[in-house]
Amino acid sequence: MTAGRRAWAATAAAGWSLLTVRAPAAQTTGTVDVGLSTVRYDGFLASGAASMTPGVRWERPDGAVTARGTYLRFESGHRSLQGSVAGSFFTPAARRWRGEFSAAAGASRYVEFASFWHAVGEARLHIIEAERGAWISGTAGRASYGSAPRGVLAASAGAWLRRAALTLRVSASLSRVGDTSYTDVESSAHAGWGQVTLDATLGGRVWSRGGGRGMYGETSAALALGERMALLLSGGRYPTDPISGSIAARYFAAAIRIHTAAPRHTISRDRTAPRGAGADGAGTSTSARLEVQVDRSRPVRLVVHVADAIRVEVAGDFTDWQPLALSRAGGGIWEVVLPITSGVHRIDVRIDGAAWIVPAGATRAPDDYGGDVGIFVVP
Amino acid sequence: MPHGLRSLATAGALAAVFVATAAAQDHPQDPRLGRLDAGARSLVAVVIDSARAAGLPTEPLVQRALEGATKGAPGSLIVSAVQRLAADLGRARAALGAGATPPELEAGAAALRAGAGTPVLAQLRRSRRQTITVPLAVLTDLVASGVPVDSAAAAVLALAAGTRDADLIDFRRAVERDIALGAAPTAATAAAAAGLQSTDATHVNAGARDARPGRP
Repeated sequence: MTAGRRAWAATAAAGWSLLTVRAPAAQTTGTVDVGLSTVRYDGFLASGAASMTPGVRWERPDGAVTARGTYLRFESGHRSLQGSVAGSFFTPAARRWRGEFSAAAGASRYVEFASFWHAVGEARLHIIEAERGAWISGTAGRASYGSAPRGVLAASAGAWLRRAALTLRVSASLSRVGDTSYTDVESSAHAGWGQVTLDATLGGRVWSRGGGRGMYGETSAALALGERMALLLSGGRYPTDPISGSIAARYFAAAIRIHTAAPRHTISRDRTAPRGAGADGAGTSTSARLEVQVDRSRPVRLVVHVADAIRVEVAGDFTDWQPLALSRAGGGIWEVVLPITSGVHRIDVRIDGAAWIVPAGATRAPDDYGGDVGIFVVP
Repeated sequence: MPHGLRSLATAGALAAVFVATAAAQDHPQDPRLGRLDAGARSLVAVVIDSARAAGLPTEPLVQRALEGATKGAPGSLIVSAVQRLAADLGRARAALGAGATPPELEAGAAALRAGAGTPVLAQLRRSRRQTITVPLAVLTDLVASGVPVDSAAAAVLALAAGTRDADLIDFRRAVERDIALGAAPTAATAAAAAGLQSTDATHVNAGARDARPGRP
C-alpha cells in the first residue's frame, strides 16, 4: 500500500470508528479548513498552495481521538496528501497523578517521489493541579521514509501553567529515529479572549545528529465568525520532523474553518454568574433576573434586569440586610457596584416596594423564616 | 453542703460571672442587633458569644438575624435560625478542620443544610489544596437544582482537585442550563462534568500534536 493510500485509510478508519461508537458522554465535532498558503520548504523555491483539511474529533471524559487529512495543491499543479489519526486516553486520577496513553499514526505523500508513514505509542505520567502541571513521557514506534521502517524512541518532560485566559507550556524532548537523533526545547502560549484565540510556539533544536539545528516558531490566530465558522491565520517556521516526515519550512496561511457539528457542550469562560432560569428551574421571579459580574481587580457589579419598574432594591448579607436602591442604567437594567467578599452570599430583590423575592439567576433556598432566599457565590 | 465547698462554689460562680462580664466587655453587643426586639436580641447575643468562644465566625450569625429582622420574622424564629446556623457552622468546622476559613465554614454549613454529609466535606477538604468555598457552594447549588446529593457530591469531588473556581462555576451553569432545557439533573451533572474534564484533558493532552491550522 502506498503512503497516500495509507493516509486516507487512516482518516477513513478513524472516521468509521467514530461513527460506530455509541457513548452517551461522548462528543463528536467535525471541522473543514479551506484556505490558501505560501510555503517555502528548506532547499526548495517558494510556492503558493491551496488546501483543504477535514478533521474530526471524538471526546470522552477520559480521552479523545482526532483524525485529520490534508489535501494540498501547489501552484505547480503537484499535490500532497497527508492523513493522521491520534488517540489519547487518561487513567482515573489518583490524587494529583494521572496516567495517559496515546497512539498516533499517519502517512503523507508528495507527487510520486516522497512518501512517509509512522506509528508511535506514548505513555505519559502527569501531575496535575488546578493551575499548573508537569509530565514525563516515553515514546516508541516505527517510521518509514520510502524504505525499511526505522525504530522511533523519544523521551520528554514538560510543564504547564495557567493564568486566567493564558496557558503557558515548556517542554524538552530527546528523539531518536533510526540513526538520526535530536533534542528540542520548546515553549508555547495559548490565550483566548472572547471570539479570538491566539497560539504561539517558540523552540529550538539545540542538538542534533542528522536532524538539523536552529530556532523555529509559529503563531496562529482564530477569530470566531458565529457558532460554526472561524477565520484562521497562521505562519512561521517549523522544523524537520523525522518521525512524521515533514520537512522544515516557512509559511503563511489563511483559511476559513467550518464546524460541521457544533459543540454540544460549550463551556463559557466569561466571568459572569448564572443567568436565565434559577437553579430549580421554577419558582424564581420571572420579573427580575440577577446577574453578578465579578472581576477580581474590581468590586462586584450586581445587575438586576427588570422589564418595568420605578424602584428596584436589593438586600443581602452584603448590605446588613438593609434595602439598597439600585441605579437605573436604562433598558430595564438596574445596577450597583459593591465590595462583596469572596464566598457564598444571600440576596433578595424588591420591586416598587412589593414583597421581597428571589431573582432568577440566583439559587433558591429555604431561608429559615418560612420563605426563600437567593444564593450566589463570588469566587 | 460543707462550708468549704459552698465557698468554693460561690467563688466559682463569681469567677464565671466575672469572666462572662469581661468577655462581654471585650465584645460589646453588635449595635446592628438593635433591630431585633429586646428578647430576641439578648438570646441571639448569647448564641453569638458562645460561637465566638468556640472560635466560630460570628458575622454569618449576625447576618442571619438581620435577615430575619428585615423579613419581619418573629423573635423566636430568628433565635432558632441563628442557633441552627451556629450548630451547622460547628459541624462544618468539625468536618473541615480548625484551619477552615470563615467563608469555607459558611459554605460548608450551607452544604450540610442541603443534605451533604460531613464525610463529603472532609473528603473535599482532603482533595483540594486551595480554598473549597466555591466547590462547596457548587455542591449546594447542584442539590438545590434537584441533583441527588450522592451524584452532586461525586461530581464535585471528581472535579475539585484539578479544576479552577471559575470553571466550577461554569460547570454549575452548564448543569442549570441543561436542566432548564429538560435534562434530568443527574444526567445534566454527568454530562457537564464530562465536558469539564475533557476540557482539562485537552490542556494536558500528550496526544494533542495538533498541527498549526493551515500549516502546509
